[in-house]
Amino acid sequence: MTPTKVHQLGIIALIVFTVAAPWVLPLFVDSFWVDIYSEMLIWSLLAASVNLLFGYVGLLSFGQALFFGMGMYGVAIGIAKMGLGFWPAFGFGTFLATAMAAVAGVFAVRLTWHYFAIITVVFSLIFYFTALSWKPLTGGDDGLPFSMPPIFTFGEDVKLSLTNTTIQYYFIALTVGLCYTLLAIVLRSPLGRAFRTVKENDMRASLIGLNVYLVRLTAFICAGFIAGVAGSLFAFFGRYASASYMFYHVSGEAVVWAIIGGVGTLLGPVVGTSLLIILREELSHVWEHYLLLVGSIVIIVVIFAPRGLGGLWHGLVNRLASRNDGTLDSSEETKL
Amino acid sequence: MDVVIALGMNGIVWGLIIALIALGLSIIFGLLDIINIAHGDFFMVGTVLAWFVLQTTGNYWLAFFIVPIIGFGIGALIEYSVIQPIKNAAALSIVATFGLSIILQESVRATYGAAPTRLVPPITGTIPMFGLEYEIYRLFAAAVSIFAIALFFGFLHRTKFGTWMRAVRFDPEMATAMGIPARKIYMVTFAIGFAMAALGGVVAAPITTVDFQGGVDILPFCFMAVIIGGLGNLEGTVAAAVMLAFFEGVMASFFDPTIARIGSLCLMSIVLLIRPHGIFAGATR
Amino acid sequence: MTDIPVLEITNVEKHFGGLVALDSVNAAVESGKLTAIIGPNGAGKTTLFNVITGILPASAGQLKFQGQDITRKSAHEISRLGLARTLQIKSVFNGMTVRENLWIAAQSRDGVFKPFQRASKSKRANETADRICEELGLSALANQEASNLSYGDIALLEIGLALATEPKLLLLDEPICGMGPAETEQTVAKIQELAKRIDIVIIEHDIEVVFDISEDIIVMNLGQILARGTPKEIASNVAVRAAYLGDDDA
Repeated sequence: MTPTKVHQLGIIALIVFTVAAPWVLPLFVDSFWVDIYSEMLIWSLLAASVNLLFGYVGLLSFGQALFFGMGMYGVAIGIAKMGLGFWPAFGFGTFLATAMAAVAGVFAVRLTWHYFAIITVVFSLIFYFTALSWKPLTGGDDGLPFSMPPIFTFGEDVKLSLTNTTIQYYFIALTVGLCYTLLAIVLRSPLGRAFRTVKENDMRASLIGLNVYLVRLTAFICAGFIAGVAGSLFAFFGRYASASYMFYHVSGEAVVWAIIGGVGTLLGPVVGTSLLIILREELSHVWEHYLLLVGSIVIIVVIFAPRGLGGLWHGLVNRLASRNDGTLDSSEETKL
Repeated sequence: MDVVIALGMNGIVWGLIIALIALGLSIIFGLLDIINIAHGDFFMVGTVLAWFVLQTTGNYWLAFFIVPIIGFGIGALIEYSVIQPIKNAAALSIVATFGLSIILQESVRATYGAAPTRLVPPITGTIPMFGLEYEIYRLFAAAVSIFAIALFFGFLHRTKFGTWMRAVRFDPEMATAMGIPARKIYMVTFAIGFAMAALGGVVAAPITTVDFQGGVDILPFCFMAVIIGGLGNLEGTVAAAVMLAFFEGVMASFFDPTIARIGSLCLMSIVLLIRPHGIFAGATR
Repeated sequence: MTDIPVLEITNVEKHFGGLVALDSVNAAVESGKLTAIIGPNGAGKTTLFNVITGILPASAGQLKFQGQDITRKSAHEISRLGLARTLQIKSVFNGMTVRENLWIAAQSRDGVFKPFQRASKSKRANETADRICEELGLSALANQEASNLSYGDIALLEIGLALATEPKLLLLDEPICGMGPAETEQTVAKIQELAKRIDIVIIEHDIEVVFDISEDIIVMNLGQILARGTPKEIASNVAVRAAYLGDDDA
């Protein structure tokens, strides 16, 4: 079996599991795991936005929570203050995040390396404090709750709304799935290759005619969009928005998920996010200080497996494949 | 007006303490090329250790001597076990120190507990100054910070080890070629960074609270001082810390303190974008 | 044929603080000749390349490529006009395969801001990448990551990157530096073959190679052009012998 086949099988398995989860999960574990699984999917998108920047363009952002928060507030303010319906609010949240990314990106991608990490934190902190102090609009510390508008109404009786847990689950799974599909398409495109080229060697990239600044800015905006979708979804999921989700610890957690899952692989963030959320849900009951373990895992992964679980997995599959038929294929098509 | 003076003076005192902590952050960045997200927690560990010394001995003064030494030891240990192994994955150093931050906070929560404590300053009482009664301990805190900062600069400029540190910062490869033990320098630098943050914790503990999350607010402020002062420009870091804290103190007497914080952060972004070497870059080079 | 020089350097200066790296350099590179730049270390050769290709901005003066002013243009714009270069310290895209390396260089001509097209469907870039792989004898290594290549192959790949951008002028910065005799011979032959269809300017320390392959030699010293002429003229130039040939690696 070629590496590509193995990865395709993996993806198919993940899709089947996601589709079947609302029925399958309650057979084995408590049914609240369906909710937790949709939460994992949402958070994995935030990790995916970190991964897009760090794993594919080489920029480590410690401020992706800013765009997550923008998505959240876009939805919450849209519904609670502007009286928008479901779709306009969703669009507004995503738009706000993407626009924010465009504005912040124009400045941020002028910097690289540690400086880029610092300025992304600073930008997110500025808006974190703004959200905290602008109480009339954002609710400050208390957050901004809203009541869920319907997705569709058809006459008087037919109403489709996320208040139905099954609909909510599939809505989230579908949206997240679409985002990953979109990401996969972009990463396989000439633009996706340009991302990797800039990551590998920015000076060389500019010497072969790539506008490095514009490539980085594009990636930054894409990442902002993804984080914005995640934030919007999370607002729908929790029925509220809160400034605490814009703090740099949230960004840091997303970085951790992405690194542990494996940067530079499409589905690494899903793996990393799921693993750490499962850890949280399972361990926090038995061991109050399970975070000691999380911190240790982070350090151990950085030291011994900087390419994360995804990297280990790819190494394993490639080694098995090359043992079978003696070919080594390191082209990008296999890196999912 | 009294409020403005009081908050302005508090700002300067606080700025000096921050300068002490931020200097550690700055040398760690300058020498090891590591963004230390856990630096705020080094400070927090200092406050907790100070509390611990007070609990066991009943004498707060001892903490001023013991805690920096313990901090130096912990710092050296961390450098050896965490920082040294990630030297080749510099881009991920931020992530590793984030993990370190989680571990430090959680260790403190597991041992010391989650409830914040207020400590009574070892010197109580006030002294009349600028038409108001000012707490003596705060003046003492400022004096200790100034003394420690001066000691640090003396060490850096007057000792062989300090010269080596500056040499390694300037050109690590050349320094190694000349027989300077770069490995040891990295470890000592990191340990000094921890010790200074921990001392900052001892000094600050009686005027803030002892809390496992106490480092979370300190960290952005230290970064602002380091960036605005100029990465690696140590004198700039000190000046920026004092100026920023004074500015925020005065601003806080007119506005919401959060607004003051936003103002500082905006200033920091502008400095990062326009003068990445800090606002004092022209004066020192 | 036009008689506009392919590259025109007019009074170009470059200062680093108080240090003058380029001191009013004037030169015109004619089409159809292989031009070489020689000079001792620190003469400003690589700085000149950096200024020409937009890596560093010129402090003063003007640069024209095929009659067009490129003084203020950025590196990627200059590349797109058809001016390619290699770097003294060999630099390719290490984590990508040889083919992907060449592919992205070729694709840069057609634009990369195509997020919804499949990269593997880019016909022209695919063909260019395969052609250059073959031309440079790298076909067997096409699916290898560049980081696995030997030093000589990396140098070849770097030339390949430049070629994939379909340049009109190619600047080579010490292309054979650090190579063994066999690799040197192979690379020199390649350069001579390329010189038949592309204008080439080469910085090189190996005087024998320079005298062997170039028709026009520029000698630089201390940021200035010291002499210029055919290999014969340069060999007999007294000033050059004193400043460079006499006391260098003799």
